[in-house]
Amino acid sequence: MPSNPKNILHVQNLSKAFFGVKALNNLQFELQKGEVHALMGENGAGKSTFMKILMGLLIPDSGDIIFEGESLKNSNVHENLQKGISMIHQEILIVPELTVAQNIFLGREINYRNWLNDKAINQNAQELLNLIGVNINARTKIKNLSIAEMQMVEIAKAISTNAKVIIMDEPTSALSNKEVSTLFKIIKDLKAKGVSIIYISHKMDEIYEISDRITVLRDGKYIATKNTSELDKNDLIALMVGREIDRLFPENISKKGEEVFSVENLSTKGKFEEINFEVHAGEVLGIAGLMGAGRTEIARAIFGLDKYDSGEITLKGNKINIKSPKEAIEKGIGYVSEDRKVLGFIPAMSINENISLSSLANFSNAWFVNSTDEQEATTQLSNDLKIKSTSINQKVMNLSGGNQQKVVIGKVLLTSPSLVILDEPTRGIDIGAKFEIYKLINQLTDKGIAVIMISSELPEILGMSDRILVLSKGKQTALLSKQEATQERIMHYAVS
Amino acid sequence: MKYIYSILILSVFLFTSCNQTKSNEKSEEKKIKVGVTMLSMQNEFIVNISDEMNKKAEELGVELITVDAEHQPLKQIEQVESFIAQKVDVIIMNPCEVEASSPAVTKALAAKIPIINVNSATSTKPTAFVGSNDVESGRIAMKFIADKLGGKGNIVMIHGFMGQAAQIQREQGAKEILKEFPNLKLIAHQTGEWDRAKSMDLMQNWIQSYGKDINAVFAQNDEMGLGALKALQDTGLKDKVIVVSIDAIADALQAVKKGTLDATVFQNAKQQGAGAIEVAVKIATGQSYEKEVMIPFMLVTKENIGRFLK
Amino acid sequence: MQYINRLRQYGIFVVFIIICLILSLISPQFLTVSNWTIIITQASINALLAFGVTFVIITGGIDLSLGSMVAVTGVTAAMLAHPDTFPVALPIFAGLLAGLLMGVFNGFIITKSKIAPFIVTLGTMTIGRGLALILSKGRPISNLSDSFNFIGGGNIFGIPFPIIVLILVFIICSIILKKTLLGRYIYAIGGNEQASRASGINVNRVKMAVYSISGLLAGLAGILLTSRITTGQPNAGAGFELDAIAAAVIGGTSTSGGTGTMTGTLIGVLLIGVINNGLDLLNVTSYYQQVVMGTIIIGAVVLDSWNQKNN
Repeated sequence: MPSNPKNILHVQNLSKAFFGVKALNNLQFELQKGEVHALMGENGAGKSTFMKILMGLLIPDSGDIIFEGESLKNSNVHENLQKGISMIHQEILIVPELTVAQNIFLGREINYRNWLNDKAINQNAQELLNLIGVNINARTKIKNLSIAEMQMVEIAKAISTNAKVIIMDEPTSALSNKEVSTLFKIIKDLKAKGVSIIYISHKMDEIYEISDRITVLRDGKYIATKNTSELDKNDLIALMVGREIDRLFPENISKKGEEVFSVENLSTKGKFEEINFEVHAGEVLGIAGLMGAGRTEIARAIFGLDKYDSGEITLKGNKINIKSPKEAIEKGIGYVSEDRKVLGFIPAMSINENISLSSLANFSNAWFVNSTDEQEATTQLSNDLKIKSTSINQKVMNLSGGNQQKVVIGKVLLTSPSLVILDEPTRGIDIGAKFEIYKLINQLTDKGIAVIMISSELPEILGMSDRILVLSKGKQTALLSKQEATQERIMHYAVS
Repeated sequence: MKYIYSILILSVFLFTSCNQTKSNEKSEEKKIKVGVTMLSMQNEFIVNISDEMNKKAEELGVELITVDAEHQPLKQIEQVESFIAQKVDVIIMNPCEVEASSPAVTKALAAKIPIINVNSATSTKPTAFVGSNDVESGRIAMKFIADKLGGKGNIVMIHGFMGQAAQIQREQGAKEILKEFPNLKLIAHQTGEWDRAKSMDLMQNWIQSYGKDINAVFAQNDEMGLGALKALQDTGLKDKVIVVSIDAIADALQAVKKGTLDATVFQNAKQQGAGAIEVAVKIATGQSYEKEVMIPFMLVTKENIGRFLK
Repeated sequence: MQYINRLRQYGIFVVFIIICLILSLISPQFLTVSNWTIIITQASINALLAFGVTFVIITGGIDLSLGSMVAVTGVTAAMLAHPDTFPVALPIFAGLLAGLLMGVFNGFIITKSKIAPFIVTLGTMTIGRGLALILSKGRPISNLSDSFNFIGGGNIFGIPFPIIVLILVFIICSIILKKTLLGRYIYAIGGNEQASRASGINVNRVKMAVYSISGLLAGLAGILLTSRITTGQPNAGAGFELDAIAAAVIGGTSTSGGTGTMTGTLIGVLLIGVINNGLDLLNVTSYYQQVVMGTIIIGAVVLDSWNQKNN
C-alpha cells in the first residue's frame, strides 16, 4: 500500500495471536489528518485488539505501525501518549477518589521540583472543561459524577495531552441524546483543529452522522475502506457479516419435545426488562445481541448468580425461585459461562476434579469421596467429549482453550441437567474445537436437553439455533424462527 | 485547621479553670493526686508492685491514677504528658526502657511536676528513685551457685529478652561473680525470652548436647527457671543440676518449698510499691526525702522459704 | 509442569534432608533417638496450628488469631484443671470448645461481612489476648492436676503423648484434605472462588468449616502447651501464628490459595523444629538463629512465586 502524505497513521500487515488463535491477521489501516474514521466489525472482529496495540498496551507479533513517519511497534503506553495517541475507553479508566483536575493531569502533574502546583492544575483543568463546553467543577471528585460526565472528563484529558489521534471506543454508550450532540460538536471542533479520530461504535446512525470514512474488519482481517457517503447501510452490514455459512455447523435433526423451561416478564432494573421466552426439549434457543444488550445478565439471573427484580421462571411445569447456583444445579439447570477462566474451572485442579466438582455428592457417602466411581464417570465423559490430555489427572490450566471449555461442559453434563445455558461457548477457541463443540450441542439436544445458546457470532447463532431471541439494550426486540432469520435481520433488530 | 486548634485551646483552658475552682473549694481537705504508669500489667511482678502501691495509697489517703504502658515507651511518654495536663501532684513511672522512657522524665521536670522512677531506671535522673539494683540480683544468684558447686563446675545461663535493662544488668552481675571463680565455666547461654515454654525447649536441646556436663542453670527470671526445671525433671537430671532464678513469683516459691527449685532471688515488690508512695507523699507535702531508695534483694532457699510464703 | 510441582515439594524435602545431614555431621548428638523425640515433641504445638492454618490458607484465607486462641484455650483449660476439682475430661472439653467457638466466630464474621480474613483475624487476635488476660486476671494459673499434666508431659509405650497427638491429627487432617468432599471443596475455593460458587459449592459453609477446624486445633495446641509447662499463661502463644503460617508456606502451601498438602506442612514444621534444635545444640547466638530462620522462610516463598510464574 503506497504511503499517502496526508496520512498521520499507517498500519502495515499487523498480526497478533492469543494462545494460537489469530485475533488480528495481516491488518491494513490508514488514518488521515483531521478525519473521523469509523472502525466497524462484529464482536470479536479484532477492533479491541487493534486499539490496544495502537495504545501500546499490547505488542504485535508482526507488522508495523508508522505514526508521523516513526515506528510505534515496540513502544509503550506512556510513549504513545506523549507522541499524541490518546484513547477514551469503553470501560472508563479513571480514579474515582481523585478530583476531576487530578484525573485530567494524572501522571503529568504540573509541578515545581516535585512539589505539586494544585492551583495551576485546577485552573488548567477548569479551562479545558469550559473549552469543550461542559459544566463540571474541576475540584469535584470523580465518584460524584455521572457516567456521561466521566466520559467528558476523559475527552478533556485526551485534549489536554495535545493528542493528534484520539480513539473513541463506544463513547456514546452511556450518553443521553443531548450529551451525544455535545460530544459530536466537540468532535467537529477537534477535527477542525486537525485532530484525527478513530471512532468505534455499533450505532449505525452515529457512524453515518459523524464519520468521513469507514474501515470494516472481520475475523481479524482487513475487509475494506470506503467513504461513508458512498456506502449504504445494507452494504455495510454485508461487509461486516460477509462470510458464507459453510459446513461448519453440523445438521441438527433432533426431535423437539415438550416445553422444558420458560421465563415470563423477567426484569432487573438497568440490565434487562420484560423478557419472555420458552425452550423445548431438544431445542436450541439462540440469544443474539450486541455487547451490553443484557444477554449474559439474563443467564446469570436464571442460574442464581445474580438476583432478578421481577418475573417468573418455570422449569418442567413448576414455578421455581432460584437463589444460588447450588439450587439451580440441583433443579437441573447447567450454565457454561462466557468467562470460563473466572466462572468455569479451577485451573490448579485436574480434569477429573473439575468435571466432578458440581456432582461430587453423587460420588460420595456422607463424608468420603469414592474416587473409583468418580474416576470412572469422569474418564467416560472425558472420552465422550474427546478431551485431549495426557491423563485425567492433568491440570486444567495446562489444557488448550477448547479442551478447557470441554471440561466445563463436562462438569455441567455430569449433573444430568434438563436445561443447559451456553454463554459464548466457542469464544477464543480454534475452528477445529469449535466444530466439536457444535457437535456436542447437537448431542445434548439428541438426549432431549433444552439448550439456550448466547453468542455474538451471527453465523454460529444462525447455524445452531432453532429459534433466535434478539435483544437490544436490555429489551427483547425479536423472536425469530430459523426460517425467518438472516444475519441482516438479526443485525437490524440488534441495533434497533 | 485553625478552627480546630482554637477549640482545642479553648477546651484545655476551660478544663483547667474548672479544675482550679474545684480544688479551691476543697483546698482544706485536698487529696494528693499521683499519676502512675506501669511497664506492663501482663507481668505478674509488676502487677504485684501496683497492688502494693494501691494498698499504701489507700492507707495514706492518696488518690492514684494507674495506667498500663503495655511495654511501649511512646505510650508511656504520652501517658506522662496526660498526667502533666491533668496537673497531678506527683508522677510515678515504672519505665519501659532506659533510654526511650527518658523524655517522659524530662517533660515532667520541665512542667515542674516531681517524677519518681520505681523498679527500674532511666538515663535521665528523676526526682527520686525507688527500686533495686538488678546487677545485685545477678550477683546473688550466681554467688549461690558458686557456693553450692564449691567454685567449680559447668553453668548454662538463660537470658531474658536481649537488650532489655533487666537482662543486661542481671547478666552483668552474674559475670562479675564468674570472674571471681575461674573454675566456673559458662558453657552455653541463650535467650529464653522470659518465656517458660521457650526455656523448656532450650533446656531440652542443651541436655542433648551437654547432657550430664551441666552442673547448674541460672535463669534470669523465674518463668524461665521453671521451664528449665521441667525439662530437667522430665529427663531425670534434676538431682544433679542446680537451678536458680530471680523474682520469687508464687510458682517459684512453691517450687523452692518442694525443693525442686534450688533458689530464687526475692525482689521486694511490697517495699518498692509502698516505698514509692511514701516518697511521693513526702515530696508532695514538702518534707525531706531520699533521692535514691534502694530496696535490697534477698536470696530465697528452702531454709528461709517460710518468711516469703503467706 | 506437574513435574515441576512435584520437584518443588521434593525441593523442600531435599533442603530438609541436607540440613539434617549437615547438623548430624557437626553435632554428634543430633541424629539420636532421644534428640528426635525432643524435636518432634517441641514441634507438636506448632504442628497442630500449622495443620489448621493449612486448611485456611488453601482456601485463600489467613488466620492471625492462632496465638491468641492458644492463650485463651490454655487459660480456660487451666482454670478447670486444678487437682481434685473436675475430671480431666472437663478442662480438655472446655479448652477445645473455647477454640472451636473462636474459630466459628472468625468464620462467621468473615463470611457474613465479606471483610478480608487478614483484618478479621487481626481483630480476633487482639480480642483473644484481652480475653485471656481477663479470664486469668493477668496472672499465670498454676497448680494443675497430674492427669492434666500428662497430656503434655506423659509417655505411652515410651512415646511422648504430644507426638501421638501430632501423628493422629496429621492422619486425620490428611484424610480430610485428600479423601473428603470438604477437602475437595477447600482446594476448589482457593483455586477459584467464583467458579466454585458457580459449580454449586456452598462457599460460606466451607469457609466456616476451615476457620472452625483452625480454632479447634488451636484449642488442642493450647491444652498441650498448658499441660507441657504446667501452667496456663495469658501471654502464651504470642507470635505462634507466624511460625505456623511459615511452616505451611515452607511446605509449599501457596498464600494465594488452591495448593498445599499436609505432608508439606509437616515437613515445614519439622524443618523449623530441626533448625531451632540444631542451632541450640551448636550454641549459635539467638540473633543468628532469627536471621537463618527468616532466610529460609523467604527462600521458600521465592521458590513458591517462581513456581507460580512458571505456570
